[in-house]
Amino acid sequence: MSKISLQSIEKSFGETPVLKQVSLDIEEGEFVTLVGPSGCGKSTLLRILSGLEQADAGRVSIGGMNVTDVRPAERNLAMVFQSYALYPHLSVADNMMTPLRMRDLPMWGRLPMIGPLLARDTYRVMQGQVREVAETLKITPLLDRKPGQLSGGQRQRVALGRAMVRQPVAFLMDEPLSNLDAALRVHMRAELSELHRRLKTTFVYVTHDQAEALTMSDRMAVMMHGNILQVGPPDEIYANPNCLEVARFIGSPAINTFAAEIQSDGHLALIGTTLSLVQPLTRAPVTVGIRPEHLFLSPTGRFQGHVRYRENLGSDVFLHLDVEGAQQPVVLRANPAQAAQVTLRNRVCFDLEPDKVLLFQSTGERLPCALATREVA
Amino acid sequence: MQQSRAHLWFIGPALALMVVILLIPIAIAAGLSLTDYSLGNSGAEFVGLENYEKIFTRSTYEKMFGATFRYVFVVVPLTVGLGLGAAMMIHSLGRIGDIYKTIYFLPVMAALIAMAIVWEFAFHPTIGVVNATLERGCGTILENWAWYAKGCERTFPLWLNDRDYAIWTVSFIGIWQGFGFNMVLYLAGLTSIPPSLYDAAEMDGAQSGWDRFRLVTWPMLGPTTVFVITISFIRTFQVFDMVEAFYPQGGGPSKSVYVMMFAIYEKGIQQNLMGIGAAITVVFLAFVMILTLIQRWFVERRTHYV
Repeated sequence: MSKISLQSIEKSFGETPVLKQVSLDIEEGEFVTLVGPSGCGKSTLLRILSGLEQADAGRVSIGGMNVTDVRPAERNLAMVFQSYALYPHLSVADNMMTPLRMRDLPMWGRLPMIGPLLARDTYRVMQGQVREVAETLKITPLLDRKPGQLSGGQRQRVALGRAMVRQPVAFLMDEPLSNLDAALRVHMRAELSELHRRLKTTFVYVTHDQAEALTMSDRMAVMMHGNILQVGPPDEIYANPNCLEVARFIGSPAINTFAAEIQSDGHLALIGTTLSLVQPLTRAPVTVGIRPEHLFLSPTGRFQGHVRYRENLGSDVFLHLDVEGAQQPVVLRANPAQAAQVTLRNRVCFDLEPDKVLLFQSTGERLPCALATREVA
Repeated sequence: MQQSRAHLWFIGPALALMVVILLIPIAIAAGLSLTDYSLGNSGAEFVGLENYEKIFTRSTYEKMFGATFRYVFVVVPLTVGLGLGAAMMIHSLGRIGDIYKTIYFLPVMAALIAMAIVWEFAFHPTIGVVNATLERGCGTILENWAWYAKGCERTFPLWLNDRDYAIWTVSFIGIWQGFGFNMVLYLAGLTSIPPSLYDAAEMDGAQSGWDRFRLVTWPMLGPTTVFVITISFIRTFQVFDMVEAFYPQGGGPSKSVYVMMFAIYEKGIQQNLMGIGAAITVVFLAFVMILTLIQRWFVERRTHYV
């Protein structure tokens, strides 16, 4: 019912185009993440959806209603800001009550001092709602404090609470976790997912952190240079990126890329080794992408490299290898037992999982072609 | 155990300066206010609280308090209000705002004593531009206003030399001169309000400008307002140069513009009655002190959000 749809949104600041014909449909109750590097226009898109920014062209509709020219206050959306944007002079309870007060009370009920007396019943209902939400977010003991007396994580919860008190059509979140420390951020990721499951409301979440996008969203939209490059479930985007930029942006450590060539016989020449393709392609330069976890150490491996650096994460070890013919170090994921046998600057052999190799045209588009799992000599 | 005396060297110079240039003069003034000292006399009689008694009983000083408080309580609210209004309007403008900013700030930069001469001409009963303009309105619908009709019939008031108008005219010039300063302070305050708060207010349903003002602007300007009000009080209590320029001989028609600073100057310097001059100074300091304490109290209680 309250499906959100953005159609051919265009926006430029002065001469600089920020959004170029962006379209996105968001189903009711979905957790959609807009992810992309800074300056890609994701926050602008969210602000256009909220109404805080006007699009130059295009249409925004919520629940089938065209709201392109409707004020933010009347779109019934709630937003959580990166800076939290809590009113510093109001207590936590008053902060959370503000959206209710602004919507549910007539002018005279909002008067200071006498307002609460005149509209006593409404106030009681609103206080009940605030307490209920505070209960859910476990911030009841903070209700009488001012935002200045709270920690970053607590402020984050209050901002969330302020968005939750009136049941909005959707929650818009603009990098809400980026001001928190790493541990809290991971914790809040789980909590936000949990909250989404419980509320069953639409979440539109903007982040530059691909890990947040991968962990929380039902679907994610990867944005770059004012365009949405790919929309889909996190698994699909990770395993099946439709272009090189998406493949590079999603995943940490980043995907390994190699310049390679499809030879005239239809085979792929990759750093000194020839690999066969499922179906031969015409001769062209291509880019080969392969994720660190799809490379493995093997004594009989077809590739060789010198260990340059060991990045130990405890559960996994990422080996950075200098490989002749590759411009950048190749990153390979190894399990700690294997990695223990590897010493720095030594030569190791490794191989790849052929079915996981991604091929891209020189323009960056994905080639719908895979490597043959078995080499035909 | 040997204790280091380094701390004395750190605070010593500042402390010594403060005592010499601030505390001792105030103490001397307080001391003098209890005597009948005149400049040049070798000694002075101790007269106790006689000077203070005069201040609080004689009609001259009653007029002094009347003029000072009238001036202060007209000028302070209006300069603060106009300063805030002008700042908000300029803030909402783009580049044109800079021009207005300069124009409104001009009177603050100009020497008030020179501006006073200009105003004196403007308010002159026969050659002044103010009354000349008012006379043009005679015979029009404005005459339905009784005060205006009376002005046309006889003459319009002698703005600066009529006992009933003088203090208000001087207040008007004080406002004209002072609000640009408050405007600049408020502009600084407005720029420091995070824009995301207005976004949050909009999302929370604050639709009218008044809602946004009540929810964000006014509370966020709280610290600025406290400062602006305090500084305005102090500046208006100190008004002197304009009175001296308009009325070098004794504080205006029937002493209706006999403000405190002018009284100090007249008694202490012109008439060489140092004792009474010092006593007025001490009373003046007490007022400023009370205002400062009120400000401190407000800063601690109301506008200290963090």
